[in-house]
Amino acid sequence: MSVDGFGSLEGARGNGPLHRLDARIKLVSAVAFVVAVAAVPLGSWRALGVLTLILAGLIVLSGASPLRLLARWLGFLLLVGFLAALTAGGRATATGLSWGMVVLNLLLKNSLAFLMMMVLAEVTPWNKLLGGMRRLGAPPILIATLGFMQRYIFVLGDELSRMLTARRARSFRGRGGLGFGALSSLIGVLLLRAMEREERVHAAMTARGWDGTMRALDD
Amino acid sequence: MHIPDILIDSRVAMATTVVGAAGLAYGLRRVERRHGERTTSLMGMMAAFVFAAQMVNFPVGPGVSGHLLGGVLSAVILGPWAGAVVIAAVLIVQCLVFQDGGVTALGANFLNMGLIGSVCGYVIYAPIRKAIGGPRGILVGSMVAAWFSVLLAAGAFSIELAIGGGQHDFMRILTWMALVHAVIGVGEALITGLVVRFVLLTRPELIEEEEQSTDAEHSTEPSGRPGWLATLIAGVGISLAVAVFVSPFAYDAPDGLEYVGEKFGFLPDESHPPMISSPMPDYQAPLPVSIPGLDAAKVATAGAGLAGTLIVFALAWSMSRAFSRSAPKPGGTAAHVG
Repeated sequence: MSVDGFGSLEGARGNGPLHRLDARIKLVSAVAFVVAVAAVPLGSWRALGVLTLILAGLIVLSGASPLRLLARWLGFLLLVGFLAALTAGGRATATGLSWGMVVLNLLLKNSLAFLMMMVLAEVTPWNKLLGGMRRLGAPPILIATLGFMQRYIFVLGDELSRMLTARRARSFRGRGGLGFGALSSLIGVLLLRAMEREERVHAAMTARGWDGTMRALDD
Repeated sequence: MHIPDILIDSRVAMATTVVGAAGLAYGLRRVERRHGERTTSLMGMMAAFVFAAQMVNFPVGPGVSGHLLGGVLSAVILGPWAGAVVIAAVLIVQCLVFQDGGVTALGANFLNMGLIGSVCGYVIYAPIRKAIGGPRGILVGSMVAAWFSVLLAAGAFSIELAIGGGQHDFMRILTWMALVHAVIGVGEALITGLVVRFVLLTRPELIEEEEQSTDAEHSTEPSGRPGWLATLIAGVGISLAVAVFVSPFAYDAPDGLEYVGEKFGFLPDESHPPMISSPMPDYQAPLPVSIPGLDAAKVATAGAGLAGTLIVFALAWSMSRAFSRSAPKPGGTAAHVG
């Protein structure tokens, strides 16, 4: 188990040209890029080449390490490859391309989309992204929920690692690690603590005048 | 289970995005009417919990581990639409921060795991809970619902993939998905059941009350009662579940898939029934007979479905014995609430 992944939620700290750009522009253009990639018909490699060049330029601008980005995409390769292989047959007969070409094309397109979303996450802190979504017209209640979620994820992540430490300090570990029962109880305790914490936090917020509307100071 | 970008057809992506957005808007409104100014805090905490719980890896075998999905668990704790909203928040964070699941597939993923996983799962859970009653009903209901919700999500996933891939891939995709997810479903049912049992043994009042008991207090808005939309989704979902395991056999009869196509067609992909129905004529083509392994796959798929259902029922029943041993009379907890 790792709780380290939470770090990505804190988001970008750099100060490149892409970091300073308005979150709305970044979000809209990243999604537009993904839609464009999806819209490129199978087999038109030239269009994909142009999109690849654009993406490469953005990666350079973002200052992120291309190797790290690619390594993360490779983590999903098994899943994407499996799904591409499953669906490639019908697409091959529909377009007249060979099966391998279709799989290759799907993989390339997926990598472009994936890397673009990753660049977006690299250069945009999560709360800026939320602010952008709110000003683009996403329901305020959804944005506020996501905001609370971000705060609580760190709290619950800490809670989880404290519980694991306590468990390790008080018991021997068998060869197989913790069993289903122990892990489920762990999740159960986490659930109870989460709900009790929410009760406390909500009571404290109500005492301070919380009326359900989130008021943002920045952006 | 998260569909990445590009792999589903663009038309499916568009249709599911519209359906997903509409479903989320409706769910948000339902939850807000129920919880008022507390909505965002409660949903945010639950979403954070599901997100964190998904980080806990359960050992399945050498080198393989699984984790809780949480759709049914959060629906059991907070009600169907709250469960869907929670899943939506988790999916959005996973997509935008961790690139787990594509941004164009966000609607499809929410449809599979939120609307089908949570809302439809709840609609399976509620009658079982009522029929059996007490904590045992909650436990058995949540486990069976968890098992079916995974399968239903897998079935919907297969259909969404197959629409882009072409008709001839459908059986292959469905068989693979059903086989893989039959195993995942048993794991999800087991984890959901263990967590629900833990809550029932420690803080049973946290579990969402049955609709009857709250009706007297809030006659205007029955708390957990699934509305017509939920029933509609469940109807489609359950027919899908049947289709997942029956269609391998019904496949030889041409209307087996047409049935699925129709059922599916009127929900997320209204405008494109031809995608499924037009290749029907050349559809009884020799495919099912000419692939030698397919008969075995049919049997395996249906067998996995049957075995999984029986395993989940047996597990649920044996786990629910905890209540008859510990509590004096388990039926009391839910009954005297209202």
